[in-house]
Amino acid sequence: MLSSAGLATASIVIVHPDRKIQRTVQRVLGSTGYRIDAADDLGQAQRLVSHLDPVLVVVDGSVMSAPSIDQFFAAARARGAEACMTLLGPEQLAQTSRVLELGAITNLLVHPMPVLGEELTITAQKLIRNDLFGAEKYLLWGADLHAITVRRASQRAAVVAELAEHIRGRGQSARVASMAMLVTDELISNAVHNAPVNPDGLHYRADLPRDAEVELDDLHAVSVRWACDGRYLAIEVGDQFGSLDRDTILSALCQHDVRDSGGGAGMGIALTYRSCDHLVFNLAPGRRTEVVALIDVRFPHSERVAASSFNVFVERAQ
Amino acid sequence: MSETRGRITIDRQGDFIALAGAIDETARLGELLRLAHGGRLVLDLGGVTFINSLGVRDWIHFQTAAQKSGIAIELHRVSEPVVHQLSMIIATRSASRVASFFAPYACDGCGREDSLLIDAVAHAAELVHQRPPTMVCTECGDPMSFNDFPERYFSFLGP
Repeated sequence: MLSSAGLATASIVIVHPDRKIQRTVQRVLGSTGYRIDAADDLGQAQRLVSHLDPVLVVVDGSVMSAPSIDQFFAAARARGAEACMTLLGPEQLAQTSRVLELGAITNLLVHPMPVLGEELTITAQKLIRNDLFGAEKYLLWGADLHAITVRRASQRAAVVAELAEHIRGRGQSARVASMAMLVTDELISNAVHNAPVNPDGLHYRADLPRDAEVELDDLHAVSVRWACDGRYLAIEVGDQFGSLDRDTILSALCQHDVRDSGGGAGMGIALTYRSCDHLVFNLAPGRRTEVVALIDVRFPHSERVAASSFNVFVERAQ
Repeated sequence: MSETRGRITIDRQGDFIALAGAIDETARLGELLRLAHGGRLVLDLGGVTFINSLGVRDWIHFQTAAQKSGIAIELHRVSEPVVHQLSMIIATRSASRVASFFAPYACDGCGREDSLLIDAVAHAAELVHQRPPTMVCTECGDPMSFNDFPERYFSFLGP
């Protein structure tokens, strides 16, 4: 289905073989104010993109195994598409590892319904507006973020314990608390030890023993915030180095499926991804990194989708 | 005999070594091997609430060292956080045999969620086909359903 009216107009391009879902996605993304163009397959999409200035392309997981997918993404980027988002439904979960291995997909949304509207809208708006930071974007109005600044490396255990107590005290299950503890521990550990980098690119704290005490001055302090709005428990961890890059993240996420991994660099990111429902990286290179982990608290675990969404957002120079 | 190191407590009860708390960079699990008897080390992991990536690395080194020393590790009452890591990373379970473990269940009637102990030996025939044993809710008596994806949760029992 080619729904373009005029050509050479900034638009969002959807590639999905199911027209009902095309229409659902069109309605959701129409809220961005951009014109929406839809294609049934990659061939149509390729022709469409060559006449448009796409700001964003959204591709269904079912077309990810097509040989021409890389060519399509390259064409979309060449025409100015800021990012390529992939949607995976429950029946396409087997595609997850293929998507991760591609190494080119920076935004994967796994959805239990035709499409998870809020995730899609937030992702699209962040990409289009170049306004990336803050867990607030994923939470309902009224959710209060509890904030802590980590000023000593040894504070990590206490913060994790406080978070677990906070979560359990608000009626969440031991499993949610356990997932939250792992996520928080790994993200703080990364921010304290792996994020600091000197002008030569040396990660000067990466090899410090993790149980050694390190005082964190204003530059090295790590911000931790969390809140629950009854849908998601959001945990946000930020540093002021902006040294984590897209390739490191995508390579670490691939380890998610390397089940015989002996554990190396990046295992913390892989474990974090596995322990939440949606992992978001907001990167301002050289300036700031923020990771937001979302744990869905609405459903029993067995009713969730057996894979997690992720986004890697890189701030464009202003 | 009880000993605390970092965030973990090690409690020796006869042949059983019970671990409780968090397995992280402070755990030094390799030192447990000196507590083995006749080439066998029996661990109760029911109290382990948390294991991070540094704990996973320590656990892998511990397994490797046990294999090199010819020590067989028997794991009892393996808690859910440990099961998740055992399922995810094959190297975490090389020298171990799991005798029993906890698994998540949810009641179909009252919605109660619980972590229930499964005897891996008694239920071996079901578990090999990734079929969770039937459980009954202690609160309302209704049947409980397994509250995870069996093919993923039970993968740690595979070869």
